[in-house]
Amino acid sequence: MILHYRAAFQWQSHAVLGRHLTVYRRNWHTAALPPLLEPVILLLAFGVGLGGFIPEFAWRGQPVSYLAYLAPGMLAYTAFMTAFFQALFAAYIRMHYQKTWEGQLITQVRLEHVVWGEMLWAATLGTTYALIVTLVLAGFSLSGWLDLHWFSALLVLPLLFLAALAFATLGLLFTAIVPSIDHMNIPFFLVIMPLGFASSTYFPMEGDSLWAAVWLTLNPLHHLAEGIRHLMLVGEMNYHLAAAFGLFLLMILILAPVDELLLRRRVLGEG
Amino acid sequence: MLPDSLIASDEPVLQATGLVKQFAGRRVVDEVGLRCQAGQVLGLLGANGAGKTTTLRMCYGFLQPDAGTIRIAGIDRRIDPEAAARRVGVCTQDDTFDADFTVRDNLLQMSRYYRPRPAEIKARIAALLERFGLDRYAHAKPDTLSGGYRRRLMIARALIHEPQLLFLDEPTTGLDPQARLEVWELIDALRRDGLGIVLTTHYMDEAERLSDELLVLREGRVVASGQSRAVLGDLVGEHMLVLDAHDPAAPAVRAWVRQAGLPEPARVLSDLHIALDGPGLAQFSSQFGDLRFEVRPPTLDDLFLKLAEKS
Repeated sequence: MILHYRAAFQWQSHAVLGRHLTVYRRNWHTAALPPLLEPVILLLAFGVGLGGFIPEFAWRGQPVSYLAYLAPGMLAYTAFMTAFFQALFAAYIRMHYQKTWEGQLITQVRLEHVVWGEMLWAATLGTTYALIVTLVLAGFSLSGWLDLHWFSALLVLPLLFLAALAFATLGLLFTAIVPSIDHMNIPFFLVIMPLGFASSTYFPMEGDSLWAAVWLTLNPLHHLAEGIRHLMLVGEMNYHLAAAFGLFLLMILILAPVDELLLRRRVLGEG
Repeated sequence: MLPDSLIASDEPVLQATGLVKQFAGRRVVDEVGLRCQAGQVLGLLGANGAGKTTTLRMCYGFLQPDAGTIRIAGIDRRIDPEAAARRVGVCTQDDTFDADFTVRDNLLQMSRYYRPRPAEIKARIAALLERFGLDRYAHAKPDTLSGGYRRRLMIARALIHEPQLLFLDEPTTGLDPQARLEVWELIDALRRDGLGIVLTTHYMDEAERLSDELLVLREGRVVASGQSRAVLGDLVGEHMLVLDAHDPAAPAVRAWVRQAGLPEPARVLSDLHIALDGPGLAQFSSQFGDLRFEVRPPTLDDLFLKLAEKS
């Protein structure tokens, strides 16, 4: 059965989203620690610490500090990993162990609403975490550690939301097909780690060979990281942002109905 | 608890006809029909795998039937699933409360999954907590409750939006006798309030005590329906004769049963159970007058044994 995209705008999906927000708000003091501390630690450890050993670092032929190179990549990586993890592990636990989904499906909420509620929640959390990283970057900039247009990151928040939504569809795909929680290492190491690291987030990648060029062209995270980097370091929009937008939209259009189809089979035994 | 206009309506709160459901090419529900009026308890019985839970799941909208129609208080579920779902409350077999919320917040969160939103929700929650004896656990997490109180929470959640029809899937499985009795009393009170209730159970005493009507499923098909006494008579017989399987006359009794064309006696531990109608019992008495035996009315245990034997 084809997922009705309109379910994304129906009240039931927003009720599911509201449920996740309520739970998160209750635990905000512990839940907010990772997005706040992780970028600080990474910026200090890799940007300042490791970056200190890389005095001559160039991006597109221009000399930049490794810290400045790393910062935009972290922003893209945060939206990606947060949404993916939420749609994979957290959604799986709610579906399989906590039986939260079944508790929702005996009401006026239908499966397409549960799926969209999970995706919207993962996207909301991914964007929120990216916003927190932006605030950390602002702190580093204002204290003179970093020289970048940190406020321009605010302009790409809608794109980061779309990115997180797309990566949530990827996470839910694995939620629908992994036999058990023990098998989640497989998508993580075979799909997510390569997608996440070979993407110009933590180090520059060049499309020297045909394979590398194809990989970088198709990897939406590469376009997102490079697009945000261009915006924050140069202060200009470039084609990477448009490419990222297109690829994320494509992911959502293709994967969202597939997710629903597979989850319908898994949860309801139908299809 | 229910609006008067709804209680007064003659329309059954549940009318399902010709329900069919297949999984992997196997028919697990085959042409099943159900009918439940307001203020009535319909018991759904059958051995494991008989299709009870699948039938229930189709009726409350968790699964889509492959064929058949379901009307909830006159609303066709296929045409207006949202309106139908608004009139239904469900207590699933497993605990499906939200473990991330307290008891009170479980009720509040449940109310958010319905439109129109339940009116005066705070008062409604307070009333349910009191009625189900959950008020002292209002701020506890459900995982910390005993089995009986978890069931109470599950039923209270199912009632938060004032449904007309309540589905209870094995509501007392795993409970101790005292907790079972308390849940029975709650169910009985809900029936008196005018709620239509459909329940599945493995407990014979529960089905006999609570159900106004019984519907027996075997391999996805309805094999009997009606009032419990009538159902038992149809499937098991009017009388159940019990004698010692080690009695020297037992082989002669078996031979008599075969000769009379009666169903093979059921062996239960060291007893033989023989289902007989009135004339059959008279014949048996004249044939085996000196034998020590007991005659009792058939129970749903006998029915289950019969169903298990047939399958």
